Amino acid sequence: MATDQTYKKKVESAINNPKLSEALHLFGDAYLTSRENAFQGRLDFEAMRKDLAEIKDDVRIRRKELLAEFIKNAEAAGSTVFIAKDTQEANEYVINLAKKKNAKLIAKSKSMVSEEAHFNAALEAEGIKTSETDLGEWIIQLAGQRPSHMVMPAIHMFKEEVAELFSKETGQQLSPDIKSLVNVAREQLRKGYFDADIGLTGANFLVADTGGIGLVTNEGNARLCATLPEVHVVFSGIHKLVRSMEDAVKITRLLPRNATGQLLTSYITWIRGAVPTDGKAKEQHIVLIDGGREALYESKACRDALRCIQCGACANVCPVYQTVGGHVFGSTYISAIGVILTAFYEGLDKAKEITRACIGCRSCSAVCPSNIDLEEIILHLRTQVTQEYGMGMIKNVAFKAVMKNRGLFHSMIRAASKLQRPVTHKNAVDGERPIIRHLPMHFMDRDFTEWRDLPSVAEKSFRDQFKGIVQNVKNSRYKVGFFVGCGADFVYPEVGTSLIKVLNALDVEVVFPQKQNCCGIPALYSGDTETGVDLARQNVEAFTEAEVDYILCVCPTCTMGVKRDFVKRLADSPDWSAKARALSEKTMDASDFLENVLHASEKLTGFKPQGTVTYHDSCHLKRGNKVFKEPRALLNAGGYSVEEMKNSDRCCGFGGTYSFLSHPQISKQITTDKVQTIKAVNSKTVAMDCPGCMIMLKGAMGKADPNVRCAHTIELMAEALDGKE
Amino acid sequence: MTPNTHLSCFVEAARRVGTEVTQVDSLQDAAAYIAEKTSGIALVPETVLADKHDLKTLLGAAGVDVYEGDFRKAGHVPNAGITFSNFAMADTGTVVLESTMENIRLATTLPEIHFVLVDPKTILEDNLSAVKPMTEMHKGSEPRFVAYITGPSRTADIERVLTIGCHGPRELHILLVEGISSDLMEI
Repeated sequence: MATDQTYKKKVESAINNPKLSEALHLFGDAYLTSRENAFQGRLDFEAMRKDLAEIKDDVRIRRKELLAEFIKNAEAAGSTVFIAKDTQEANEYVINLAKKKNAKLIAKSKSMVSEEAHFNAALEAEGIKTSETDLGEWIIQLAGQRPSHMVMPAIHMFKEEVAELFSKETGQQLSPDIKSLVNVAREQLRKGYFDADIGLTGANFLVADTGGIGLVTNEGNARLCATLPEVHVVFSGIHKLVRSMEDAVKITRLLPRNATGQLLTSYITWIRGAVPTDGKAKEQHIVLIDGGREALYESKACRDALRCIQCGACANVCPVYQTVGGHVFGSTYISAIGVILTAFYEGLDKAKEITRACIGCRSCSAVCPSNIDLEEIILHLRTQVTQEYGMGMIKNVAFKAVMKNRGLFHSMIRAASKLQRPVTHKNAVDGERPIIRHLPMHFMDRDFTEWRDLPSVAEKSFRDQFKGIVQNVKNSRYKVGFFVGCGADFVYPEVGTSLIKVLNALDVEVVFPQKQNCCGIPALYSGDTETGVDLARQNVEAFTEAEVDYILCVCPTCTMGVKRDFVKRLADSPDWSAKARALSEKTMDASDFLENVLHASEKLTGFKPQGTVTYHDSCHLKRGNKVFKEPRALLNAGGYSVEEMKNSDRCCGFGGTYSFLSHPQISKQITTDKVQTIKAVNSKTVAMDCPGCMIMLKGAMGKADPNVRCAHTIELMAEALDGKE
Repeated sequence: MTPNTHLSCFVEAARRVGTEVTQVDSLQDAAAYIAEKTSGIALVPETVLADKHDLKTLLGAAGVDVYEGDFRKAGHVPNAGITFSNFAMADTGTVVLESTMENIRLATTLPEIHFVLVDPKTILEDNLSAVKPMTEMHKGSEPRFVAYITGPSRTADIERVLTIGCHGPRELHILLVEGISSDLMEI
């Protein structure tokens, strides 16, 4: 797929604006700390988010009945409810109402669905003025922009820019002092609440059993909008429905904590019906907007996205968002949830670039308070994008023509190991394999080797080395099948040989089914399900024949592939899926197996002190397989002393083909962050459990500080064993 | 948690978000405290508890400039608003005001300073224990406006810098006074 040129330009200009990225990084770091503090104590985030997911799923199933209940109760309390099939109908409703009331000014508090509706433009076109009263929204209204974050719409702007906008608006020369700028907004907007004929708010909840709405805010503008004008319009997506006050209260326990690290926002306002206003009953209109939500509810693969409570956390932790900001990585809604909502509310075409911009680190899925597997849904959409728009020539040839054909794939790699000789160089770290410092093709150099070395393909792959390895296991406790994965097979076979050494030392015998092939994730992440299914079959066949007790991977992405994806990919055929399920149950990441099945950190003792290592948590190991304590336990037992780096579980920037083909520039920035955190730890070794991260970090550290070694935990354990002997 | 730990938890949580919390012996003392902090007109809604405790008289006697008249005509930014509360929540330091009476809304949204009189007996453990009284308040089909207030108005919309006093009151003072009312439905 040819990358859209305007999109590419947007990426470039965002990358050339390090000030924004810097601000988003500072914010991301501060966010993690305050969120952690907010959940401290007796709150169990995992239990709370599962509970919320159940609530939202029940609401989805019973939505028709609950919506009817909400409407009945709201109307009984004097509200007028209108269901708009799309945002245009919603705008028209308010335009007609405004005309009927002869309204000149609408004071608005924050409503994302009104952004979705381009509400302000639609109303202004009819001569009705709208005034955003949320500080961030007002800033971007004055700037003529769109929000770049769901909770902090103007997060991309700096105080100097705000001062300039406010100066223009007030006709005074204002200094960029935040406190006084906030004061200017307070003074400027106050009159508007009194003058406005209509106050418009969003809604965080539509409570079915009371017929009321709930608003979660900090500034106090929503309360003013809902109080002073004679007419109150509530603009809300239909997915804000909850069953009861109890459901809503449960959400208030998660939303502020996960959004801003607050235990509760300054104001939560519960409004039902036509409350008294200036001696009369207020006119309250609730506009409930579908706008693509019903279609999203009906999509089995994507519907969990409507569990979203709009906390914005998926952006806060996203390395791509932190690199390019919400104006690039999103549309009306930004970051991970934005990718999905854009596809449904604005169309797949509008989302095709951003579905590919996700690096697949799963940070969003881990932080989501509604337990939405955002990354999984984005992958699904990427498949649709690929089906509709293709995935580009390179990937077509690589996946469909080469990888599916195991013989061809492997002989091409053998050939590559010879062909690369003219461009490889000796590695600065002794004993490490040669690297590629520069590629001869100048046009590729910028994205490929300017900022990182590329690994050379191993002289002899693991699959070719295996037959020559002698295993001395007398009383074998287990027979394990080794799923090597492409990285360890062709680039770092020493990880595989190390694994055999460590397992043999614990009386475990290793078998290697030669018919195994790539796990298929690279193809799948590019949206090529067909190749994914084919590869799953090849591997399931190879490992079923091998009859092993466990299947071990040294690459957590492969672990996810074998454990989770094969079952899904082969779900259509009962025979294949039964086999895949049987394998899935036996599949583990190597560190997980060593620690939790073999209890290696207790069994293996008497190591010499090995010095300090710092540990990088690979995305798919920690968030994909929930393994992070195990490698640390192993390393500490092996005589290493693990010193933690900052944000050890932030993505290294690899993302497979992401760093080579789709978004090398974004990758580069994310890797630069990681390199900095590594350098801040005084350790000459970085341990990790993923060959993908090894490719990225060995390459980047090679350019940044060649004396720092990047190694797989299993390699370090094998070396510790060698030292013992 | 015992009522006593609720109280200390409430005070700590409220102070953490910038609320001034003071325990006083009587409503007279509360009135004196308020008089000292105000420098302009004060909106005092005539709620059930305000009438029961003759709040306006107490405040007036202490020297507070209690506004008489239509709250909507008290200017865009009156100096103070003085209210009771229905109940409070210890874990978050929140006060809950059943504000369907418009004057309660005006007295708590417009002024620079909001003073809330809270009976410590009405402090609940957390917001889950508030579900019951919240549901109770929403029985029937009358219009309702219930406000949870946790600290002063705040924003972080410019460069993520926490700034107090965006659109709502810049200061929130909670005065803990025994014997106001232990009925969570009363304000």
